[in-house]
Amino acid sequence: MWTIKYKPKRLGEVADQAEAKEKLLRWLERWKPGGRAALLHGPPGNGKTCTVEALAAEKNLDLLETNASDVRSESKIERFLGRGVRETSLLGTRGKIILIDEIDGLEASADRGGIRAVIRIIKESAFPVVLTANDPWDRSLYEVRGLCELIEFRKVPLRDVVKRLDYICGREGVKADLKVLHALAEKNQGDLRGAILDLETIAQGRKRVTPGDLEALGKREQEANVFAALRGVFKSYSALSAKLSVSNLDMDPSEVFWWIEQNVANEYEKPEDLARAYETLAKADLFRSRIIHRQNWRMQAYMVDLMTAGVSQAKKEPYRKFTRYQRPERLSFYSKTMRERGRLNQVLRRIASRLHCSTRKVKTEFLPYLLFLMKRKEGFAERFASALNLPEEELDILSSFHK
Amino acid sequence: MSLEVWAEKYRPSRLDEVINQKHVVARVKVFVEERNIPHMLFAGPPGTGKTTLALCIARELYGEQWRQNVLETNASDERGIDVIRGKIKDFARTMALGGAEYRIVVLDEADALTAEAQQALRRTMETYSATVRFVLVCNYSSKIIPPIQSRTAVFRFKALSEGDVREFINRIVKGEKLKIEEKAVGAIVYLCEGDLRRAANLLQAAAALGTKITEGIIYDVASQARPDDVKRMLENAFKGKFKDARGILHKMLVMQGLAGEDVVREIHRQIYGLNLSEEVKVRLVESLGEYEFRISEGADSLIQLEAFLAQMAAYRGKSLKA
Repeated sequence: MWTIKYKPKRLGEVADQAEAKEKLLRWLERWKPGGRAALLHGPPGNGKTCTVEALAAEKNLDLLETNASDVRSESKIERFLGRGVRETSLLGTRGKIILIDEIDGLEASADRGGIRAVIRIIKESAFPVVLTANDPWDRSLYEVRGLCELIEFRKVPLRDVVKRLDYICGREGVKADLKVLHALAEKNQGDLRGAILDLETIAQGRKRVTPGDLEALGKREQEANVFAALRGVFKSYSALSAKLSVSNLDMDPSEVFWWIEQNVANEYEKPEDLARAYETLAKADLFRSRIIHRQNWRMQAYMVDLMTAGVSQAKKEPYRKFTRYQRPERLSFYSKTMRERGRLNQVLRRIASRLHCSTRKVKTEFLPYLLFLMKRKEGFAERFASALNLPEEELDILSSFHK
Repeated sequence: MSLEVWAEKYRPSRLDEVINQKHVVARVKVFVEERNIPHMLFAGPPGTGKTTLALCIARELYGEQWRQNVLETNASDERGIDVIRGKIKDFARTMALGGAEYRIVVLDEADALTAEAQQALRRTMETYSATVRFVLVCNYSSKIIPPIQSRTAVFRFKALSEGDVREFINRIVKGEKLKIEEKAVGAIVYLCEGDLRRAANLLQAAAALGTKITEGIIYDVASQARPDDVKRMLENAFKGKFKDARGILHKMLVMQGLAGEDVVREIHRQIYGLNLSEEVKVRLVESLGEYEFRISEGADSLIQLEAFLAQMAAYRGKSLKA
């Protein structure tokens, strides 16, 4: 992972944040047991945690760390940090720094008493304590805040993000347009970690990245969101929650429709459930056509309700299984078959003009018989092709109609 | 080089050869004699001679060089009114050749045009009426907006009788020196439902087998020329293999670009031949009708037909008598 590989090892390598680093150093120098903790706050991915890590390395301190991925109930925090923070090492050679990461991630119920334990640690610690949070103004942090020096980490400026990405590209031997790096920085809005993650996603194992590669990124992210929404529709008991699960998708409802359509057959196994679900989708489609033909956009609400709440209620009970969802074939099938359809259409057009009718009539009225004749009558295909001024192979495309 | 398709080879080229439609032919003859034709609207069932008559008029007016004074366009393939206007405008701006006063635009399957496109067409008809005459061809005149109907001479083509179809079959039999049983002719008449195009196609396919054409051969050919995809799709659905059925549907609608209505009609024809209980057949036909109606009102044919297939899959193993 590039986010780990390229973590700053020393304070000087941390991008931007000069003021915050300065404040942090001063705080550390002045810190005495019983003193205030440092609360580093700011949006994700701008270097709060790695600044503390770099600081520890630079000052040759041991880092005792816990973060939101651990369960942080009162007793766990106490067990993990309690002794370490109160006793100076008997050998006493190395100092320590205590990092309680993502303090606003302490959830009221799961981490019951967690805040209390944190407060106790701040008060009793023999070593400096650093906390981090995205939002220091969270109500639950009211008391903690009073015991802390607040140090703000701002969004990493665009040029610093670009600089860092460029540096990584250099080290990885990846050639990337500055345009691409800019777009990545722009997209991540001051979140350097996010930008590095994105860069790795599109650049790993490649020699060059171009603006076209950026597309995969948006799609992947969007795809993850769609999958979650699909789970919401298919797995829920509640009509309302099925409906709400698509409400935050950044996708046109008519596209969401095809995602649901594609995957409903993967999810629902009982034929009755599937039949009800498809009938509901077919009804949603009626509303879609009313929107289009009458420009009545009010109808969209009903289309969305049917395709979400309606489909969720089509099942007798939810299927307890993991379903691998797919992107809609309908959308990809059109682009995949474009060339072939183009060729087919040309042949059909040529036949249609000779028979004074539409290609539709050629397909429905003539083709069944023409294919029969080509198969059964010696030389017919050859003569037919030459009458159309086509090489005989071109007629092969018609055989997709008879298999 | 000729196409060797009998429906085309035996398409009448002179007004006198047109099968029946005497009421239309009689009046059209007068127009042609006076070399002055109005805008016309030909409405009637498929395979009854509408396009043929339009082409005959062109031949009578312009002789063998008729093609240079006639623009044939098909609304089912060129729905975009811009295409039609562009093409028609370009065509109308150039002078008629061979001393003719006006040229002819044959707009086939005009009922495929949207109401808006028809409005635009109406203006085009007016603007260029001095240099161009329109012959609109459609199945149902009700799908043509009244302002266009009122600017055209409307001719309704009659469904052809058994005698008419026999007359046409006889022409081909004589022309191709075929050996055919009387009963086989009856079978063609029955199967083609008054559609001469279909009669010619059926006869040509049957003749390809090279023996005397019997009633059995006709039915055999008719069933072999049935689109196989529809059959396999229905069978898969009924076996509960919904996803396979859906795959075939995708292929037909997307890859082959078949119209939803055409697939519906083919399903309708095939339902009765399926190995289902009689009651299920009737239920399926009923819901098929609903889906076709929705499609004709602008619903998406893929999703509507998928709903039909899913319903079919759900009927599997169900006793309906409850």
